[in-house]
Amino acid sequence: MNTQNLPTPTAKINAAFSGYFPTWCPGCGNFGIWSSLKSAFNKLKLHPDKMAIVFGIGCSGNMNDFLWANSFHALHGRAVPTAIGVKIANHSLPVIVIAGDGDCYGEGGNHLLHAARGNHDITVVVHDNRVYGLTTGQVAPTAFKGAKSKSTPGGIIEVPVNPVALVLTQGATFIAQGFSQDMIHLTDLIVAGVEHKGFSLINVFQPCVTFNPANSYSFYRERVYKLGADYDPSNFRSALDKSMELEEKIPIGVIYKSERPVYTDSLNQLKTSVLAGQSQNTEFIKFINEFV
Amino acid sequence: MIDFTVKIGGEAGFGIMTTGLFLGKIATRSGYHAFEYSEYPSLIRGGHNVIEVRISDALVHSQTSEVDVLLCLNKETFDLHAGEVREGGVIVFDNEKTDESLLKKPDRRISYVHIPFTRILRENQLATVMLNNIALGVLMQIIGADPDILNKLIAETFARKGEEVITKNQQAAALGLSEAKKDFPEGYKTKLVKINGVPEKVYLTGNEAFGLGAIMAGCRFYCAYPMTPTSALLHYLAAKAEKCGMVVKHAEDEIAVINMALGASWAGVRSMVGTSGGGFALMVEAVSLAGITETPIVIVMGQRPGPATGMPTWTEQGDLHFVIRSGHGEFPKIVLAPADSEEAVRLTVEAFNLADKYQTPVFVMGDKYMQEGHQSVDMEKISSLPSVINRGKLLSQEDLLKTGQYKRYLVTDDGISPRALPGMEGSLHQANSYEHNEEGHTSESASDRIQQVEKRNRKNDTYLAEDFRLPEVYGPKESPLTVISWGSMKGPILQALKETDGLFNYIHFSRLWPLDKAKLKAFLKGFRRFLLVENNSTAQLGQLLTMETAMEFPDTLLKYSGRPIYPEEVISKVREML
Repeated sequence: MNTQNLPTPTAKINAAFSGYFPTWCPGCGNFGIWSSLKSAFNKLKLHPDKMAIVFGIGCSGNMNDFLWANSFHALHGRAVPTAIGVKIANHSLPVIVIAGDGDCYGEGGNHLLHAARGNHDITVVVHDNRVYGLTTGQVAPTAFKGAKSKSTPGGIIEVPVNPVALVLTQGATFIAQGFSQDMIHLTDLIVAGVEHKGFSLINVFQPCVTFNPANSYSFYRERVYKLGADYDPSNFRSALDKSMELEEKIPIGVIYKSERPVYTDSLNQLKTSVLAGQSQNTEFIKFINEFV
Repeated sequence: MIDFTVKIGGEAGFGIMTTGLFLGKIATRSGYHAFEYSEYPSLIRGGHNVIEVRISDALVHSQTSEVDVLLCLNKETFDLHAGEVREGGVIVFDNEKTDESLLKKPDRRISYVHIPFTRILRENQLATVMLNNIALGVLMQIIGADPDILNKLIAETFARKGEEVITKNQQAAALGLSEAKKDFPEGYKTKLVKINGVPEKVYLTGNEAFGLGAIMAGCRFYCAYPMTPTSALLHYLAAKAEKCGMVVKHAEDEIAVINMALGASWAGVRSMVGTSGGGFALMVEAVSLAGITETPIVIVMGQRPGPATGMPTWTEQGDLHFVIRSGHGEFPKIVLAPADSEEAVRLTVEAFNLADKYQTPVFVMGDKYMQEGHQSVDMEKISSLPSVINRGKLLSQEDLLKTGQYKRYLVTDDGISPRALPGMEGSLHQANSYEHNEEGHTSESASDRIQQVEKRNRKNDTYLAEDFRLPEVYGPKESPLTVISWGSMKGPILQALKETDGLFNYIHFSRLWPLDKAKLKAFLKGFRRFLLVENNSTAQLGQLLTMETAMEFPDTLLKYSGRPIYPEEVISKVREML
């Protein structure tokens, strides 16, 4: 059979999810994440109608128009709580958050902790480039100490946020790190994250070629290494150790994975059907009677 | 006519609020109407708490400044409130704990009833939590209520705790009753004799009424962060959640609260949030998000005195402008302000229908005064309320497939676009916080912008054409003086109206925004002279009406002490003007 003219499954599904061609700078690390997301959705056989993506605000959030699925382009910092609301209302939908480092670790940092605690079954893909791109180059919460930027001309005084250690200690049940240039590896991480039942964070290192020349493709190529088969992601202590490898050597792969009931499984109201599918309660007279 | 007030005071933590609630229920179960008002500081233990219950054989709309029976569980209650007791009234106090010679008794004929609360507790080895039962027993004797009603109420309340607990509580009440019989055998002149053949009553707070309205409206997601005076709405719905199939989420902060609710609403469930001024300040950015994404949401905004933390457990109507103007950018919103339990249930149900119809934020405003006080209402008035659920232009799966290429922000004549839900086949769309085109894609084109701004604004015109209502008028049609107010101040004003046999008439605003300027102006022109009554310092409704109609409202009765306006204050101001 001549298969030459048949579209590859990837091309087909890419078409289904395709929106406008990205407006990101040429060479932007976001392209790798974009492609990996689409490949992962293809592998997962997701359909754009039967899922929900919640986008944050920033260069990453601008993917809303390039990755076409049912989506909510939320407020800066608030993609995580919006996604939790979507999941509670319809827990049959896969819910994915696409946000940036400033979005998720700065403006919305509080929400991230509580999403991990609740083990809400959502997958949060964070574009970590250690800089604010859309606002033209200020430090992100993940910027290395001393990084100079428009908002920190003398170098940033704070030490960087440690996203992996942060969510690990707050109860996240799936934590991975990826590198946007290694798309095959990243695709597998996204697939595993979405398949995981529970709160999953995928922190993706993604070079900003315009505003952060220091943390370039070569910077990461020299430092990232894949966690091997000998690494046990179910071990909390070793995950905590890995989370401390921040600068010299940077691990990528699944850092932690454990099982815990997800938030919606603990709600008896959702045992028989999704919340959005439930018919209206008409027996309110019994509630009125309680006030006699 | 029977109309009397019982006031109970003591240290916080003594169960004062429960005593008041039980007394109110005893009254309503005896066929009377009741109205409850409480004052307490923002503390858990200690501090001075008072609760008063006004009981009448006619509908009662507010508290009054004169007390018939004052029950003092500490000396402070006597010191602070003895002066409020009317001629011929009763004061109950613990004569063994308080030296009677040190009490500053009012120069009026008052019956003093001596109840050794502390000794009763000690001699019967009762815990301090039993104090409220003893107090209720005492009150049963003083107001001549049927102790069986109290005993039944105790049995219902402690049903889950078992027979022993029930008996213990009932015994404590019996001790109080017999002690009061000894010292005050004749009781108070007004007796709570059971009235038969009157409609059955329910007794509920504004918070409970909001919750009941939400249940009736098919609300499926309530999200909140505790904040007085709206915390009790969270407690009520959390307790009922499983029974009514609602998910109730106490989120990490008010920002998460409203964003979660918007996510849930977008995914198809009727969603509500509740808060007070400070918490609402955190929600404001997402109010604007609801505006541009056209996501329905009901927001219960319980006012208390600000700015900032202000006076957390007191009352004020200080956030009208804040709510009406909330959210950056221009988008339609609807603001309702129910006055009492019946209005609160009715307007909450309506709020959900309006939110779905207009796909925009709808506010239900309350305040500490109406949200925390219990109030009786004939049950039939609540149970007969229309609970029709109208989800507006929400598409069914079938309708959606018929539309072909679905456009979430389709430009329509009424400004409202058909709404599909994620998960439906053919529903592909995005709810976009950026300005967008009809498909929902981000757009900065001038024509898309103008189209979408005008589309959203047209929802306002549609509301004015289809859902705007002129304010209600109470009292005689023709009157030289017209009182204007809004929200919870309706109660004291109606009470004043009743007590003066219609000396004035009253225009009540329960739908505050948007307003139809032309209709409103023509309507107001039909009255002669106005007195604006508001529980704030800047006459916010007055300012709003001036802005909309260019009419001035120079005569005002404004109160901003953290206390509600009393009917007596309205009467005195009205008499002064006439």
